[in-house]
Amino acid sequence: MAGIIGYGIYVPRYRLKQADAAMTWTSWSAGEKAVCGADEDIVTMAAEASDKAIKHAGVNSEQIGSIYIGTASSPYIEQYVTPVLAETLELAPETTMIDYCGSVNSAANALLGCLDAIESGRIKCGLVIGSENRSTAPGTDGEASFGAAAASYVIGTDGIIADIEGMHTYSTLFIDRWRGVKDSWVSNYFDYRFDREFGYEKHIVAACKGLMEKLGRKPEDFTYVILPQPDDRLPGLTAKALGINRELLAPGLASILGDLGSSSVFISLAGILDKAKPGERILLASYGSGGSNAISIIVRDEIEGKMKNPGTSLDKYIERKQYIDYIGYLKITQALTRAPY
Amino acid sequence: MRGKVAVIGVGMIPFGEHFNKGLEDMAQEAYIACLKSVDKGIDPKEIKAAWFGQWSGGMIGQGAQSGSMLASMIGNMEIPITRVENGCPTGSDAFRNACIGVASGIYDVVLALGVEKMRDKPGSESLIGAGGGKGGGLGSHPSWMMGTGGPSLQALYATRQMYELGCTMEDFARVAIKNHHNGIFCPYAHYRFEVTMERVLNSPIVCWPLHLLDCCPQTDGAAAAIVCRTDLAKNYTDKPIYVLGSNIGLDHANYWDKHNFTEMLATVRAARGAFEMAGVKPEDIDFAECHDCFTNTELMNVEDIGICKKGEAHKLLEAGEFDMHGRIPINPSGGLKAHGHPIAATGIGQLCECTWQLREESDQRQVEIKNGIALQHNCGGPGFGVSCVTILSRSL
Amino acid sequence: MSAPAPASPVFWRFNPEIFRLIGVKCKDCNHITYPRRKICPVCGSLNIEEYKLSRKGTVHTFCINWVLPPGLEPPVPLVIVDLEGGGRYQGIIAEVDDPGQIKIGDKVEMVLRKVDTDRGINVYGYKFRLAEES
Repeated sequence: MAGIIGYGIYVPRYRLKQADAAMTWTSWSAGEKAVCGADEDIVTMAAEASDKAIKHAGVNSEQIGSIYIGTASSPYIEQYVTPVLAETLELAPETTMIDYCGSVNSAANALLGCLDAIESGRIKCGLVIGSENRSTAPGTDGEASFGAAAASYVIGTDGIIADIEGMHTYSTLFIDRWRGVKDSWVSNYFDYRFDREFGYEKHIVAACKGLMEKLGRKPEDFTYVILPQPDDRLPGLTAKALGINRELLAPGLASILGDLGSSSVFISLAGILDKAKPGERILLASYGSGGSNAISIIVRDEIEGKMKNPGTSLDKYIERKQYIDYIGYLKITQALTRAPY
Repeated sequence: MRGKVAVIGVGMIPFGEHFNKGLEDMAQEAYIACLKSVDKGIDPKEIKAAWFGQWSGGMIGQGAQSGSMLASMIGNMEIPITRVENGCPTGSDAFRNACIGVASGIYDVVLALGVEKMRDKPGSESLIGAGGGKGGGLGSHPSWMMGTGGPSLQALYATRQMYELGCTMEDFARVAIKNHHNGIFCPYAHYRFEVTMERVLNSPIVCWPLHLLDCCPQTDGAAAAIVCRTDLAKNYTDKPIYVLGSNIGLDHANYWDKHNFTEMLATVRAARGAFEMAGVKPEDIDFAECHDCFTNTELMNVEDIGICKKGEAHKLLEAGEFDMHGRIPINPSGGLKAHGHPIAATGIGQLCECTWQLREESDQRQVEIKNGIALQHNCGGPGFGVSCVTILSRSL
Repeated sequence: MSAPAPASPVFWRFNPEIFRLIGVKCKDCNHITYPRRKICPVCGSLNIEEYKLSRKGTVHTFCINWVLPPGLEPPVPLVIVDLEGGGRYQGIIAEVDDPGQIKIGDKVEMVLRKVDTDRGINVYGYKFRLAEES
């Protein structure tokens, strides 16, 4: 089976206090979130994260057989962004370039696609990126909570630092968040209990249980558990439903960087890998649009041979910040624009 | 060229903000003034060719300019007219080509006219808006062109002048102080008020290290000159001014190809060639009109022309050597800084000033004429890659 | 005439320069430049080959724009950078908190940024960022 050869992340430096947005619309949201600068987007973030991942992995661009990006915030409905990344990362035209769009489960699906391609023998090594910068509109809950980040992973069969033992998916038709083609923001059904129990929790639990059954694993086998973090409460509640000690959960990022969408579990994974020891096992489950992918990762000895540059760790990106105010945020997201004349 | 070409008439309109005049109005007034300036009179039909300097016409909705536009303006469809555009040296290059037309022996009497309408747009949209970075020219991808508005191209030089040559913002301000002072005495200047050191240094920073008052204004204007074969000059005037040489020097338009940022090779090349053509040296010139589109540019020009060594100009300026009554006056007209910079008219306007100064007709701003030799210089174009230097003399 | 659209051949032709920094180097005078061309702009030689520029360098000179055309928010520092291994690059410094901190000699690195959006298409290119010590 394939595994992680290297990884890199990028988090923008700008921070908005979530309450600054929420309270303008007589609502509340705790903490702060990471925001793209006016000249940043999922492509620029993915480029920097991938550059770091490729350097960490120690592979050449010629070795990358496929590049995948998973996002719910592509700037285009028709036109891929992976070709832009292929240019800046200097990949060959023979590299398969695929954008997985339309769900915050997209990056996990991209990883699944990459693993399938490796298993089929078509490629030996692929680049998988989760990059999110979801569109927000004034007064929406996403305006307060959606954060921006990108995480990039080199996946392959040579030079593995962490094996992917297996993946299991569970999907149904379930709608909690959506964005129609004519909308410029993401809507929310706003029934927390319904969406948690029959959306987030149900699919994650099913995917994880299915994975553990397939691999013959038990909750006690895992040192770390990574679940998506649209807020700080859902992971804990779902851990309980899974019968997993919530102490094992990755640190909460929802009030520090915001809801990172597709990139959420992969940012958390990078944070865990920054510190993980050989032999430790990680349970990771994604969720979005009624789909959950669960994977089991086991860290190899080789991780210690590939020391990461501390300057590029998740902790460093969290530390590096510059506050902007709500007006600044409205200008960056172009919710507030200057009259043309 | 030396010995073949004489200036027999020059005319211009005062440079300024002429909201009530269009391109045609200004061109016609300058042309009429030029005809009238020929002491012994001239029949317009004696002019057998013309060169029409016009830089921005197409850009500001005046329509793409061509020779036929000037023909219409001056009411003469019988002669060949070429429209010249070569960046900021447009007017000078129109004049240079007119001189070549005479020196070649093909034409006896020719006209060079430059006119620019800049104030049909608000000041902020003019040069500062230009170069906003969407295509046009060699290497025109937005990521190379962003942030390269007018002042930034000279500001990049100013930063190195401060770093390598020891120039300070006060040194740059001194250029503005001198030129504004000179402008008071020139009835054609755009600005005719003094500025103090405080006023310049307190004006807003437009593009660090340049302040608003380090930048020349956006100006409308027109100027014209008539040149003819030397042996015919005395038919028209007892005070012909001879063109000893006129040369264009070039350099890379792309900033990343430049050899350094304290010297503009376009000026160096233009001046070197012009001095060779003229058979004179920098020490021989009495005064110079040079291209101070920004204050730091004047310091660079003076060094690049060869009037002093690299790094010396700001010291000589501080010592008063470039003042109107200093050892070698620079920009007695007020320069682009105070006299204004209607791009295609600027060069010919400077040549008007040189002509009046050499004829000692400059009233209160008259500089001392010792050798009777003047130098006129412009630089500009994309990436400041074009320069034109012309050397005039009151004797052959 | 309006500017060419990002979908036009003008932009497409520059992809190797813009993304992969493929310029040219003259084998006779060693001058490095871009966009690619067949004749050295300095010495006129035809002996010219492709050369990939580095994405790192030091500030050679700079200025800080405070007055800008619409679409750019001031301050915008413009720099000429001496690239590692040769050649120079003209660009903007992104993400600088205080432009007063920029000095000649500062180490910079290129980062991909969105430089424009036109007719719904994003145009990407490199800007510089002051190198962080790590």
